[in-house]
Amino acid sequence: MSGIPEPAEFRAQVRAWLTGVAKERTARQEWGRGDDSVAVFENWTEAEERAHTDRIRDWERTRYDHGWGALGWPPEYGGRELPSYYEQLYRAEEDAFDVPRRTEVFPVTQQLVAPAIRIWGTEEQKRRWLSPMLRTDELACQLFSETEAGSDLAAVRTRAVREGDGWILRGHKVWTSGARIATWGVAVCRTDSDVPRHAGITVFLVRMDAPGVTVRPIRQMTGGSSFNEVYLDDVLVPDTDRLGPVGEGWRVTLTVLAAERLDSGGLGLDNADRALDLARHLPRPLTGGERQQAADLFVRALVQRLIGLRVTSALAAGREPGAEASVGKLHATATMRATTDLVQQLLGPRLAADTGEWGTFAWTEHLLGAPGYRIAGGSDEIQRNILAERVLRMPKEPKGAER
Amino acid sequence: MFRLDADPTLLLETEEQRQLRVVLSDLLAETCGPETVRQQTESPRGYDEVLWHRLAGEIGVHGLALPEEYGGAGYTFAELAVVLQETGRVLCPAPLLPTVVLAGQSLLSSGDRQACARWLPGIASGALTATVAGFLHPAQVTAERGPDGWVLCGEADFVPDGEGADLLVVAARAPDGERLFACEPDATTCDRTARRVLDPTRRQGHVRFRGVPADPVGEAGQAPAVVDAVLDAGRVALAAEHVGGSAHALDATLEYVVHRTQFGRVVGSFQAIKHRLADLLVAIEGARSASAYASACLAVEAPELPVAAGAAAVACTGAYRLATAEYVQLHGGIGFTWEYSAHLYVRRARADEALFGTGDDHRLRLAGLLGLTGCTD
Ligand SMILES: Cc1cc2nc3c(=O)[nH]c(=O)nc-3n(C[C@H](O)[C@H](O)[C@H](O)COP(=O)(O)OP(=O)(O)OC[C@H]3O[C@@H](n4cnc5c(N)ncnc54)[C@H](O)[C@@H]3O)c2cc1C
Repeated sequence: MSGIPEPAEFRAQVRAWLTGVAKERTARQEWGRGDDSVAVFENWTEAEERAHTDRIRDWERTRYDHGWGALGWPPEYGGRELPSYYEQLYRAEEDAFDVPRRTEVFPVTQQLVAPAIRIWGTEEQKRRWLSPMLRTDELACQLFSETEAGSDLAAVRTRAVREGDGWILRGHKVWTSGARIATWGVAVCRTDSDVPRHAGITVFLVRMDAPGVTVRPIRQMTGGSSFNEVYLDDVLVPDTDRLGPVGEGWRVTLTVLAAERLDSGGLGLDNADRALDLARHLPRPLTGGERQQAADLFVRALVQRLIGLRVTSALAAGREPGAEASVGKLHATATMRATTDLVQQLLGPRLAADTGEWGTFAWTEHLLGAPGYRIAGGSDEIQRNILAERVLRMPKEPKGAER
Repeated sequence: MFRLDADPTLLLETEEQRQLRVVLSDLLAETCGPETVRQQTESPRGYDEVLWHRLAGEIGVHGLALPEEYGGAGYTFAELAVVLQETGRVLCPAPLLPTVVLAGQSLLSSGDRQACARWLPGIASGALTATVAGFLHPAQVTAERGPDGWVLCGEADFVPDGEGADLLVVAARAPDGERLFACEPDATTCDRTARRVLDPTRRQGHVRFRGVPADPVGEAGQAPAVVDAVLDAGRVALAAEHVGGSAHALDATLEYVVHRTQFGRVVGSFQAIKHRLADLLVAIEGARSASAYASACLAVEAPELPVAAGAAAVACTGAYRLATAEYVQLHGGIGFTWEYSAHLYVRRARADEALFGTGDDHRLRLAGLLGLTGCTD
């Protein structure tokens, strides 16, 4: 492909391609039929999780192989080097088609881990990892949090000790989403405890099927298990799987976390749209208050999309996005809560007891899943600290001893 | 159903717009400091007439979004929005909103070329101030055809700059339906009384028409559509002002809390305060995005405009409410004083809601536009 197609032309091309390979989505228009799941985190068994992941992966491979995958990446990684917001243009079209909904591990691999490898990886690592990850032949999970290191991630205690031309990892990670299906884990480890703690961290990519890696699902408040605990018992990792320099792992980690914040801006929009559909189709007139509540959710979702567009267009124009890049996640978690509140108001008792009606009790999955995103990927409170300190330049939080 | 289909580049400030912003904020820094704004509001006309002419002449603010054939510069509303953000930021009391946006748009939307040619060049050059009556709030004005042409009778209240504006565009009941009229009333046929107002930087008046000679604008029956278009433009303009005012409130508050010391530390180091300002930033960035989108829709006359304008009104009135409340609260006692500017912003935010509608008013209207009503049959 030469040159950058006009957005309208590009979208027409996307549509034309999608029409050939996928079915147009009808369920959304036909209210009351089709899949009524609004799960934020899926309640799948391991076998179901694998089966769904395979389906999504098949679709991602089709995209990638036909040149609609790694749109913003250079050709050597299967991409077309289009401006970043073309990915959004693509998704806007794809929304109208019946293709598998991506679970968390996919954006983690493609939008968080792959870009970090592009920045921090050696040439050999980029060759080895990037295309397979963008094509989702390999899937990556984040082995970041530990029981004693959550918001305060730099407190990680998982040790990596050099041995020959490799490293021995020992520790315990928790809340690892997608660990059952990931082929790689990005592990934040302590390699030196004699230096200030941020300087003693190194990041490794660990094969999730390596000897010594044990994954145990943790049941969540939704009833399902989309996250896990992961034991690393003397896992041998070759030095060639170290990402970034020894002792520079904190910066590598921050790269991933920043991408995660940026990627969070779209959370909750699908379900907000669904809740608005519910407000349109509810078999009774809405009260004035309910209309206001519904319109408020509409405005929230619209504004969230606009904030996202401002970020992508700033990036496309080669500008560093400003405050808009950091507010997205807080805005998104508020949208998710407002969605729950509207649905609660509209459904009344049918939210609390399953009458078997389409699109009613299913909302409990949203109600129970939404709180997870206020914690995952940097809690709401941590996001506020980040905004206050990095954007508004207010004083930093006081640190406790030895921080 | 509404579908967001915006060209994201329209949401970014262009280089030209950035330069305009710089020029304007320099001029306003020099002419609209907190003290001078108060003095201006106490002057007979309620604003600085020298500044008015500098804005129109030196920068061409008034004609920015007006077509060249009527003495304008032929830019779009996106440029005017930049201006309104800056004037909103300093609470500049010049009646740009009623003159350029409300009256200007009503003439333009009427499609009446003769009326446009007669009045718009005066608006563009700064020679005329203008406003609308019977648009924002229902008025009781009737139009009758007398021996020497049309005359208006009745009254309109809450008219922005109603006491002083040279030109009034009035929505009146004519025998053949609701119709727009333009008039330049004088005291022989018109009583105009300034109301005591919550917000001294935006005057309102009561206007009694006692047989005011007036010229019809546009066709009979067309008025409701023009009024709708003007209200949308007004919402978009107000949203831009609110973004500017909110941003000022955040900046001023931030500046204060990082210097004010209590308990041996600056109050801005308390997390309770950091988090509140972070939340305010989220609200303002949302407002800024909604305002940019609505301005872009107005600039290209997109069919999404009514929804975009309503959404911007919801997002921006909400952000301004929050910003002005925090402005007072986080300054402590000083924030509650007459001398300090915070209350002027509270006044502006609340009076604007009274004039143009609260967030809930806009939500209710949006719900209707979007069919968020449940099954009503
Ligand atoms: C659904 C889900 C999926 C997840 N997936 C992953 C994953 O794939 N990989 C991974 O590594 N981790 C994952 N996590 C873990 C997540 O990153 C952590 O839970 C999160 O960082 C918070 O850490 P914590 O649980 O230790 O809580 P804590 O840090 O102990 O926080 C407890 C409370 O204190 C607040 N708090 C903490 N510090 C401050 C402060 N400085 N100021 C104000 N308030 C503060 C927090 O906001 C929270 O409300 C996931 C979590 C969830 C819920």
